[in-house]
Parts: sequence; structure tokens; C-alpha cells
Amino acid sequence: MGITDTIYVIEKESMKESILHSLDGRIKLILLTFIIIYAVFSTQIIVLIALEAYLILLIYLSNISFKTALLRVLILLPFSIFIIAFQPFVHPGDIIYQFPFGINITYQGLIFGALLFSRILVTLTSVILLSSISPMQEVVQSFRKLGMPRDFSMILSLMIRFIFLFYDELKKITNAQTARNFNIFNKKTAYSWRLKQLGFTIMMMFLRSYERGESIYLSMLSRGYSDKSKLYYNLNKKIGTPEYIFIGMTLLIVVILQFLAIFFFPQLGLLGAHIT
Amino acid sequence: MHIPDGFLPLWQTGIYYIITIIALYFALNWAKENLDEKRVPLMAVLAAFIFAMQAMNIPIPWGTSGHMLGAALVAIVFGSPWAAVLVLAVVLTVQGFFFGDGGITALGANILDMGVIAGFTGFGVFKALQKLNLWVAIFLAGWASIFVASLAVAIELALAGTFPYDLGLIFMGLYHAVIGIAEGAITVVAILAIQKVRPDLLHWNKTKSGSEVGK
Repeated sequence: MGITDTIYVIEKESMKESILHSLDGRIKLILLTFIIIYAVFSTQIIVLIALEAYLILLIYLSNISFKTALLRVLILLPFSIFIIAFQPFVHPGDIIYQFPFGINITYQGLIFGALLFSRILVTLTSVILLSSISPMQEVVQSFRKLGMPRDFSMILSLMIRFIFLFYDELKKITNAQTARNFNIFNKKTAYSWRLKQLGFTIMMMFLRSYERGESIYLSMLSRGYSDKSKLYYNLNKKIGTPEYIFIGMTLLIVVILQFLAIFFFPQLGLLGAHIT
Repeated sequence: MHIPDGFLPLWQTGIYYIITIIALYFALNWAKENLDEKRVPLMAVLAAFIFAMQAMNIPIPWGTSGHMLGAALVAIVFGSPWAAVLVLAVVLTVQGFFFGDGGITALGANILDMGVIAGFTGFGVFKALQKLNLWVAIFLAGWASIFVASLAVAIELALAGTFPYDLGLIFMGLYHAVIGIAEGAITVVAILAIQKVRPDLLHWNKTKSGSEVGK
């Protein structure tokens, strides 16, 4: 599943119906961002395991596909894995294994790598959950209601509408190239020639997008658009009992976890130890 | 090059957010002053364009692949690094919040690297070398934008204690020095093609004709 497919998968998942989908966009945005911040703040693996378990429970409640969520996590892991995989070799600490040429594996490096991996897992799961239970426009509107500058949120809102259009155009261009046996990774053609073709594709996309932007601007003007126009409609719901339950549940879990993190988890050994 | 969540401590992400918010304030002001009300749809389509463009894989000589950044391209076409800051900020926000590509706590750092540093480096190199040779200037602007941004990422990860300076600078620098060649070449081809097909869209042609950007 490439990013081109991901965009359609996200939109499809966000249109499903569940108790979490029906919550107010601002609450979902704030609470899942809060979980991410808490995960980054936390230095104990057991806290991150507990947060991941809570997020898996939310995925179950939200009726979204576990398989799709897992696939999305796997797609996003490579860059992080590269940095994490180096930790046992680059993090200073007690040497537990020695390789030739002065390459050593340290205990502290292994543990720090495990902490980073746990964090990545929790934060990616949070983002995937957020994007799977909230249509993109709902998130943008939540941003606006939470104080994002008007211009920035309007650009964001319009951009999201265009993304789908451009992916379709990109797909058309690549299909046309494939139909003519063009393959960017085909080494039988000169590298410079392949880069040139990519440059032309990008130029075509740029021109199409710019001209589309101009015509959209003119059609918006003819429909009364001005600098002070609102470009979105109300997608946010009223904050009611389900929202309060979600807020209460999440805050309670974080408070309990933090209490345990201070007074109980350090006695559990490796999983509860503070890793820095 | 997108830094994920958890690799930078919260206090450092706060500093990057503050720098980025200040940069965005200036970028929005630049857009208001230079692009009029047309700026919103125009910037939006350009952000979508950069977003789609970043999904295209570029083959890298040693068998791997990367993707373009586009900061130098936007800055040169619009004649201002602020355009790159604004467009890349929107793209990175969408990538972070919807696709998990780059972290949410690390969003400030990512905008700083790929929008501010890449945009200003690309535009600075272009302006410095423009008079010597236009196409060499564009190539080096594209190359330098991605290369310097990758060094900034390596320094941020080192400051966070996540990856040592020496190895980070070597790995990130080498890898992006090679990707930078593709970025530079494609930026040249794209701008050359725009110059032939729609020269009116390029900032330097608008300046020559005396009209304003985006009008």
C-alpha cells in the first residue's frame, strides 16, 4: 500500500460509523495529540505498552480495520527503524557484545532503542487512529476552531480538496507512461534521461495545478469569494456525554499511568525503569 | 528526512515550534503583501502539487530511492523563500496529522528543516549564483536545499542525544548529497520547461515585465 492508496484508505475509514467517529473533531484531535505528547514525555516502556493497549482498544471500538492500521504502521516504520537499529551501536553504555573493528553493542543502547521503538509504535498508532476516525476536513475545521490562523487553515482546507484531484492526475500520467513501457527504475535507459522525464512530469503537474488554481480562483470570485469568505461548513458536533466520557476515560488512564510510573512501575525492573 | 515523534525531547520540540511559528508569521505576511486574495487557492494547489510530487520515487544510483523536497523549486518560481516556508508547512502538517509521515511533536522541527532551512538555502544559493549561470544556479539551489536540510536534521538528532553528530552528518549528508543531484537536476528540468511553456509564471519574468507576483 503506497501513499497514493493510503489517501483513499484513510478517507474510506474516516467515513465509517462508530462511537469514536461520531465524537466532536476537536476532542479527538486534542486527546490523541495529548496521548502523543505523553508518549514522548514518558521514559518507561511499560507506560508505552499500556498506552498502546488503550489505543488498540479504541481501534476496536472505532470499527476500523486492524489489518489496514497495521499495514500503515509498517509503511511508516523504515526511517525510524534505521535510527533505532543503530542505537545499540552508538549509544554509550555497558558493552555486552564486541565485534571486530571496535564495533560494540551496549546494554543501554539496546534499551534506548526499545524505548524509541515503543514510542514510535504509540505515536504512529495515535495518528493512524486520528486520521481513521476523523475526515480530513473535520480535523482542519477543528484546527481553525482551536485558533489556527485563518489563512493557514483555509490553505489547508483547500489543499485537502486538491490532493485527491492531483493523485488522480498523477495516476493518469504514470499510467500513460507505463502504457509506453516507461519505468523510472529501468536501468536500460540512461539515468539522466529518466531524471529528465521525471522533470517533465513534475513540470506538467505544476502547470496543471497552477492553471487549475487560476480557474478555481476565477470561479470562486464569480461566486462571491473574497478575502473574508469562509471556505468550510460546520462539521463539528456539540460536546455531549460521549465526549465527556472519552475525555474522562483518557485523562483517568493517563493520571493512573503517571501515578503508577512514579510509585509502582520502577519496582518492576527493566519494563518499568526510567530510560534516558 | 521527516523526524518522527519521540526522537526529540519535548523541550527541544518547543523551541523548534517557536522558531517555526515566527517564520510562518512572516510567510503569511509575505503572501498577503505579494499575492493578494488569490494567494489562498494558489498556495493550496501548490501545496497539493508538492504533496503529490513527494509521492513520486526518484531512483538513486546505489540502488535505493528517494523523493524530491520541492522547497527550492517553489522558492525560485515565486522569487521568495517565504513561499517555500508556507507551502512546505501546509504539506508537512497534512503529512504529520493524516499520514504519520513526520511527527506531531516534531512538526516544528520538520517545518524548520524542510521549509525554512531548505527554502532559504535554495533561494540564497540561487540568488548568489544567478548572475554566473542561471541553470547552474538552479541546480545547486536544488542540491543545497536538500543537503543542508539533511545536515540540520542530523544536528537536531544529535542535540537530542538520539544519534551522534559524526555518524549522523556522514550518513545523512552522504545520502542526501546523492539525492540532491536528482533534486537539482529535476528542479532545472521543471523550471526550464516552465520557462518554455509558461514563462509568465516565473518570478524573474514578472519582475522584468513590471507586473506583480501572482496577479
